[in-house]
Amino acid sequence: MSGARPSALGAQLDLLAFALGALGRRGGRTWALVGGLASAMALLSAVVFLTEALRAEAARARANAPDLVVQRLVGGRPALVDVASAEALRPLPGVASVRPRVWGYLFLASLQGNVTIVGGSGAPAAGAPGGAPPADGGAALAQGVMLRGPGECVLGLRLAEALGVRVGDKVAFPAAGGDEHGPGTALRVVGLFSSPVALWTSDVALVHDDDARTLLGVPPGAATDLALALTNPDESAVVAKKTLLALPGARVLERRLLERVHTLSYGRRAGFVLGASLPALLALLALAWDRLSGLGPAERREIAVLKAAGWSTADVVAEKLYEALLVGAGAGALGLVAGYLWAFALGAPGLREVLAGWSVLYPDTRLTPAVDAAQLFGLLALVTAPYLALSVGPAWRAATLDPLEAMRQG
Amino acid sequence: MSGRARLAAPCLLAAALAAPLPLALHARAARAADAPAIARAAAALPWPDLALGGGARHLRFLSLEEPAAAFADGPAVVDADPAGGSLAPPAAVWAESAAPKP
Repeated sequence: MSGARPSALGAQLDLLAFALGALGRRGGRTWALVGGLASAMALLSAVVFLTEALRAEAARARANAPDLVVQRLVGGRPALVDVASAEALRPLPGVASVRPRVWGYLFLASLQGNVTIVGGSGAPAAGAPGGAPPADGGAALAQGVMLRGPGECVLGLRLAEALGVRVGDKVAFPAAGGDEHGPGTALRVVGLFSSPVALWTSDVALVHDDDARTLLGVPPGAATDLALALTNPDESAVVAKKTLLALPGARVLERRLLERVHTLSYGRRAGFVLGASLPALLALLALAWDRLSGLGPAERREIAVLKAAGWSTADVVAEKLYEALLVGAGAGALGLVAGYLWAFALGAPGLREVLAGWSVLYPDTRLTPAVDAAQLFGLLALVTAPYLALSVGPAWRAATLDPLEAMRQG
Repeated sequence: MSGRARLAAPCLLAAALAAPLPLALHARAARAADAPAIARAAAALPWPDLALGGGARHLRFLSLEEPAAAFADGPAVVDADPAGGSLAPPAAVWAESAAPKP
């Protein structure tokens, strides 16, 4: 240690600085350990970052979903619902509005994929669930205007790209039943959804209710489902029960439960990936243990010199633990940054397909990070803590070396 | 040990640990500007499911479409993890099953 007797904090900083220097002197071994631990951390953190980002994205739109969606089931499958049944729900206490919705899927052979056709009235009541946005469309549109009436459509960016159309063009959709050669429906593109909403709208064609009926073959008087807005969303469970009494056999979906669905769904997928990568992490820690346990001749000589120069056993143990802390925390931080860049800067290649899903009209938008300090430090502890724990035994063994014996062997 | 050497290790660690935080804060702040657009677009959609997966039977709104999936928790409860969660079906099978039949 340095000439004047240092304070306790100063002594620890000296040990930390010495540990950094010692790691530098064994550069090859240090970088091998840092590289291995950082790779494991990058994988773990990328999975967690991506999962949390997906949950957060799903939550962003959830606030604007209907409080309840009522479907009709036939043989366990969703079937068209009678628009007149909306009248049975409107008088229920707590129901603010009921909107029959027409939406569905249309297979486009040219894309080899489904397009989601969503009907909108063009002039919905303010705040009505499932209604089209206000006429100006706001920032939801990259170009053009929002739907004004029949014969028009607003397309998702990815869908418009795939079809090769722009605002002002006409796009021909096949007739109901998927007859590509039959008389289709031509709609003028009046707007394109903007990229910030591409995660929700990339495969969507927003059309007038009448056009949606034509495209999907939904007869007048029928709808895909009913969207309910409640005066108090906290009463959704009560209103759901009353809805089931009013419409026996209906299926009622609560927005409140959707949060649980998204959390479980993404959490389960992340669990699969993390479970598969656990053996790799354990193998890495076993390798680290092996590396830490073996003291080379140079290291033995160094410890012998330090003890001969007056270092106590506690000093050597502390120095060795600081080495482990620097390697573990440094590798962890490096892995965190790598995982972050993998997930958000590069778009998580190799992981996104497993965790996020697939689609023919896949949105190009990058996911938004939804991490907080607790997550970051929790992840860091996940790798650093086991590594530190593993290093205690080897540090003690190194510290209890007899200096004379070590000198002779070295 | 010099004063600079004594500070190098903790400073390096602190800088590495803090590196992701400004990135995350910046991205979240930028995303907050998109909130009104998302609110407007989401109100027009059937459900807030993300347009990322095809799902079982190639459907887009998984939460609305799978009333009889294996993971449903009970009557009138949406499915926790609709079938087909992690692997895409082969594109040829997809096209064959959804293409119009003569």
